[in-house]
Amino acid sequence: MTALRRPWANPLVQFVTASLLLFGITWWATGIFSQRAARSEALADARVTTELLAHSVAEPAMPRGLADGDPGAIDRFDREVLERLLVGDVRRIKIWRSDGTIVYSDETQLIGRRFRLDREQLSVLNSGDTEGGLSDLRRRENEFENEEGGLLEVYTRIESPEGEPLLFEAYYSVEAVKQRSAEVLTPFRRITVGALLALLLIGVPLLGVLTLRLTRASRARERLMRRAVDSSEAERRRIARDLHDGVVQELAGTAFALSGTAREPSVSPPLRAELEGTSESLRRSLRQLRSLLVEIHPPGLNASGLGAALEDLTAPAASAGITTSVSVAGVDGAPDHVITLVWRVAQEAIRNAVRHADASELTVEVLGDERQVRLIVRDDGVGFDPAAPAPDRSYGLRGLQSLVEDGGGRVQVESAPGVGTTVRMVVERR
Amino acid sequence: MVTRTTVAAFAVAALTLPVAYAAPAAASHGGGGDVRTSGGCSGSAHWKLKAKPDDGRIEVEGEIDSNRSGQVWHWTFKHNGSVSARGASRTGGRSGSFDVQRRMANLAGEDHFVFRAQHHGQVCRGTISY
Repeated sequence: MTALRRPWANPLVQFVTASLLLFGITWWATGIFSQRAARSEALADARVTTELLAHSVAEPAMPRGLADGDPGAIDRFDREVLERLLVGDVRRIKIWRSDGTIVYSDETQLIGRRFRLDREQLSVLNSGDTEGGLSDLRRRENEFENEEGGLLEVYTRIESPEGEPLLFEAYYSVEAVKQRSAEVLTPFRRITVGALLALLLIGVPLLGVLTLRLTRASRARERLMRRAVDSSEAERRRIARDLHDGVVQELAGTAFALSGTAREPSVSPPLRAELEGTSESLRRSLRQLRSLLVEIHPPGLNASGLGAALEDLTAPAASAGITTSVSVAGVDGAPDHVITLVWRVAQEAIRNAVRHADASELTVEVLGDERQVRLIVRDDGVGFDPAAPAPDRSYGLRGLQSLVEDGGGRVQVESAPGVGTTVRMVVERR
Repeated sequence: MVTRTTVAAFAVAALTLPVAYAAPAAASHGGGGDVRTSGGCSGSAHWKLKAKPDDGRIEVEGEIDSNRSGQVWHWTFKHNGSVSARGASRTGGRSGSFDVQRRMANLAGEDHFVFRAQHHGQVCRGTISY
């Protein structure tokens, strides 16, 4: 039932969620890395292809006069190399003079037009290196490009038959980069996803069995605890009943008899005083014994009697001069074990307040709704640092914690030196 | 000297006269954006020229019809005054003709093509613009 109400608390759900999260992160990361790797590989491929086209196809076939814009030379070059240049992913070829004039392109309308070469292109023209990157399709020289996914441009240097350095530029479809990315990514993802799925397939049943065992062990422990509590309650009840029916009755009778004897006329005044003193002492012991009985086993502890029982608990504090207030609301119909837990926690908190807090005010609030019952015990005493070691108090707090956890609730102690202490406890109403 | 000069002048006139006397070319526009011209050569042969767009290029087709099979003609294509292609072809078939096609770059502005074919002094010269 707890797992259903709080699914995140279920280790199986946590494991599956963590696995799916890991799966998502791996999916995303592999996508990013493979895309980078593919882009880098595609650019490297494009460089190699460009150099091959430039030096093995274009340069040897270049006729004299091409660099000077001779139409016949352009025709001859175009007929000879066009089909060998536009291979694979190559979408456009341009050959530039250093002044920015395009001396050849497979888009013949560009031939003879002049554009400004950028720094990188001029650098390649001077150095003879091979460089590349994504094309800026907004540039005027790219007015004929309408490749949707964009283009990758790579340029290198060639020489005309007359010895003039020219810039050979090849454009590639970016779609090819994406395809390359998919080629790199797919096998990697298959391995990753397969491994994760295998982990899930093996891990989930194992974890399910473990969770089941733990749940069963937890329930068994809970049953044992409940039995132990019940046994303890029964023992307390028996001790309280024996004390009440035996010692308390006898002490009451003795005190009554002593008072009666003391009132006899034949009793001398000194003896009367002694008898009355003894009777008073017996009555005091009787009161203490009855308080102890209430602590051992509060009579008739249920929802309707919780307020009165809490009043009884605060009575010693009131006797010690502390202003106390008790308010109880919304607990009608709450199970007896919940009420008992509230009472026990309040008892421990009030005891601590009376012993350690040096408080002038102590309030006890109990507020219930259809799901939970909340207890707040607040004092305005000296407070303490919860992080500081204090053996006697820490034992009390630890006991309180253990008591609440055993009862299926949660407790929180808030305090600081000089600002009092607040104990909050929440328990499911079930 | 005088004799040599006269012979040379006569030879030049003999080479150029057939072109001058060739029948005027008739240009027409066919379907699909093609342009055609045709005309007569210096002899009895006829020439035809056709230009049409071809995947961003201009395909220029020249044809010589001499009615004599087995003749070898030397021909030249010029594009804007520059030699784009040259070769030799043999007339064949009953009509005694041959044709050559070449793809030319479609350069900015109007492109001018000249097709010139020659066989044993007979010269055909056709022009077309696209």
